[in-house]
Amino acid sequence: MNSLIVLKTLGILLLCESVAMLPSVAVAIIYKETAISAFIITILIAAVVGFLLYLIKPKEKMIRYKEGFAIVSFGWIIASIIGALPFLFSGALASPVDAFFETVSGFTTTGATVIPNVEGLPNCLLFWRSFTHWLGGMGILVLTLALSPALGIGTFQILKAESPGPISSKLSTKVSDTAKILYITYLAITVLMILFLWLGGMPLFDTLCHTFGALGTGGFSIKNSSIGAYNNVYFEVVITTFMILSGVNFSLYYLAFKKRSLKELWQDTELKVYLGIIAAYILVIAFNIYGPNFNSFAQSLRHASFQVGSIITTTGYATTDFDLWPDLSRTLLLTLMFIGACAGSTGGGMKVIRIHLIFKYIQREIGTLIHPRAIKAVKVNDETIPETVLSGVMAFSLLYFLIFIVATLLLLTQNLDMISAVSAAACTLGNIGPGLSAFGPTKTFAPLSDFGKNILSICMLFGRLELYTMISLVFPSFWRK
Amino acid sequence: MKVIIIGAGKVGYQLVESLVNENHDVTVVDNNQNVIDKLNDNFDVLAMKGNGVSSRLLEKLDCSSADLLIAVTNSDEANIVSCITAKRLGTNSVIARVRNPEYVAELDFMQKNLDIECIINPEYATAQEILRLLLNSHTSYAVDLAKGRVRISEVPINATANLSNKQIKDIDLPESVIITAIARNGNVIIPNGFDYIYPQDTIYIMGERAAVDAFARSMGVLIDNSKVRNVLIIGGGKTAFYLARKLEQLGINVKIIEENLHRCRELAEGLDNTLVLHGDGTDIALLKAENIDEMDAFVSLTGYDEENLLVSMLAKQLGAKKVIAKVSRSSYDSVVETIGLDSAVSPKLITARDILRIIRGGKILSMSLLIGGRAEVFEIIPQEGTPIVNKPLKDIGIPKGVIIGAIFRNEQIIIPNGDSVIKSTDRVIVFTLESLIEKVKKLFNTNGGGVPINELINSAKNSGDIASL
Repeated sequence: MNSLIVLKTLGILLLCESVAMLPSVAVAIIYKETAISAFIITILIAAVVGFLLYLIKPKEKMIRYKEGFAIVSFGWIIASIIGALPFLFSGALASPVDAFFETVSGFTTTGATVIPNVEGLPNCLLFWRSFTHWLGGMGILVLTLALSPALGIGTFQILKAESPGPISSKLSTKVSDTAKILYITYLAITVLMILFLWLGGMPLFDTLCHTFGALGTGGFSIKNSSIGAYNNVYFEVVITTFMILSGVNFSLYYLAFKKRSLKELWQDTELKVYLGIIAAYILVIAFNIYGPNFNSFAQSLRHASFQVGSIITTTGYATTDFDLWPDLSRTLLLTLMFIGACAGSTGGGMKVIRIHLIFKYIQREIGTLIHPRAIKAVKVNDETIPETVLSGVMAFSLLYFLIFIVATLLLLTQNLDMISAVSAAACTLGNIGPGLSAFGPTKTFAPLSDFGKNILSICMLFGRLELYTMISLVFPSFWRK
Repeated sequence: MKVIIIGAGKVGYQLVESLVNENHDVTVVDNNQNVIDKLNDNFDVLAMKGNGVSSRLLEKLDCSSADLLIAVTNSDEANIVSCITAKRLGTNSVIARVRNPEYVAELDFMQKNLDIECIINPEYATAQEILRLLLNSHTSYAVDLAKGRVRISEVPINATANLSNKQIKDIDLPESVIITAIARNGNVIIPNGFDYIYPQDTIYIMGERAAVDAFARSMGVLIDNSKVRNVLIIGGGKTAFYLARKLEQLGINVKIIEENLHRCRELAEGLDNTLVLHGDGTDIALLKAENIDEMDAFVSLTGYDEENLLVSMLAKQLGAKKVIAKVSRSSYDSVVETIGLDSAVSPKLITARDILRIIRGGKILSMSLLIGGRAEVFEIIPQEGTPIVNKPLKDIGIPKGVIIGAIFRNEQIIIPNGDSVIKSTDRVIVFTLESLIEKVKKLFNTNGGGVPINELINSAKNSGDIASL
């Protein structure tokens, strides 16, 4: 493996991260907070280490599969370690395990927290927490690619390893341009959401934090009771809409914008299935909670829509304690944690397209039982899905459940009940945030043991980087010459 | 007219034959010496060995003075380049054969931007023809003329039919229906009242559509329940692909059995609702497993005529309602008539028909080749001053072997007799033996008055469905 190019790229990543902390410093200056020193020390460390690594001159600039995997895996771990330092230095979190958990939860856009009283944190830390969602949503390495055009050859490997979904495609001839297009699209939607919330009356600081959380499909709130604290239907509608928009493949927005037509959007199978799932879940849950939890159907619909939008996009905001809902609704929400958002979005989970392909695959298998000699192609959007992609999707799904089961079993050794363990594994692997029972939306992960927190941190990274990227590092063949 | 043909394969050869019979100056280019020798032996043409794409060769053939160049080599790209080159060198009109399905969506572009007057796609045309046969309620071949008012239908005679072994004058035909031809052992007979009809003959009846249908129904060749819902196709070539795609769009269930696994995958990728099966189409177990007895139609489109014929007989035996086979070689025509096949289609004949229609152009509104190309039916608007108009038919001297089948006047069908007079505003349906085409032309005087070929092609495009190919 070409370690030098990996180190150099990680150096660029650290430089980018130190720049990304500057807005938090600005927030600290505005609110005259003492936590500013924690950020300044972290920025210095990241900048110096990053610059030293950047000075490395690799003989060969080629990035192959191995380098791509290594850059993305180590990049996410190092970015999380550096990102955790402000929490430690400011004293907001005493344990390094907690600080790492919180930052991984931020970058992977999970939104699971170990801080019981977030309202007690200084604003600059709250801002940093939410900002990690925004960065992690589109990908910290995609950002690095967008900012540093001369990174080397084969950067498509990095894009492929970091962007979610079974098939990655370039939007332009160059990887760095593709990364720029993605971030500009992302930025445009961000500005739009900020305007909607701010003009609707949410304080600017709250607006920024919740916009980052919703668009990165993260879920960190600056309120203890999440979005429910505002009890404002307008905010909920805006946030639900933008969460659902963030769960859509971002390249679709770019294509629609380029062709100046929405036709591109409506012709996309994944989007149609995604919206179909959302509509079906909202209806079933609204009927299920009408009566036991809410007296009016309008209220049921309001809360069902927000929670379904929040869970399927793997955001994790809440307007009510859905852990108090009937078992049918809770279990439905649990299944949503597995489905997740669309490929190429900022959301997590297994991705709608994979679920769609699994069903198409099953349909084909059943067809083959009736017509043993039939040859059928699995098609999405009139394009045939290659057999290699199909078998990849099947392997991914099995691996996903395997990791889920192993993580659940490991959590069960930590004195948890079954629902808590199952939901904790599902909601971290799918990057959702809050789970059920002991980890419901009103509770935090603080009581969990360090071992449990580390398991969940690993689950979050596995989920965000779509299993293979991380897991390949564990295989001995990866390290063999 | 001076015509250059590039490529003398099946279609090219058939074209040479037809064009020479019609007395055109034909030049043929092919890169195979054996083919050149065969052409020189059989026809009065200039046959050259060479590459039809080469501008030097085309110049040598004096293509600037040619009225028409037809490129029918087995390479689409060569055909296109040949046509463009000839056009630049001054050939009046060009026709290219383009058969790759990937180009189907681009045919319009080619016609407009590459300046190729006409593009023919034999597989597509064959698929269209089969589709027409399938959706037609007749089990056998039928052609509609005069805006669908006149129909010519093929009626196979079996031993039990009540008309077998009878003289035509003794047959009780509906008033407006006439027997235009009898195909017997591969020969075509234009009958008169004293000819007999024997078992195993195929007769062609022509007349008003309703009357023809009534007669066909009484002969058991018209299925009233014409709704085709399930079609089984053997052989997954280009024709099968086009046909399946058309049938799919009509909501018909299609199954294709293809032997080549790779081709199966390609078909499955290109088609949406068709069931593509990997297997041998002659495997009875497979055919039964796929419910051949419940198929409304069975189409055999493998590359081998013999296989198509045999598997079609098999399918008929196993209970398929309507059976159509692709038969390319004319040597099998006589067999087709005797084995009880509902229809046989020949891509070669269909292509030749389409090209001839363009060449003849003018006022010929539609044309069909029957009985392996040995007879033709066409619909024509006669011009003022030609021998055929304004004279009782019995005084014109119409040769035996040519039948004026119907006159379409003021939306009325007139079945003519010797005293009938054709006017220049009529549409006339003419049935003729291939060998008499030249004489028929003199009667209608088409193509003799130096009408520019471009005009002919354009009018043919407007009237026929060539442009939609």
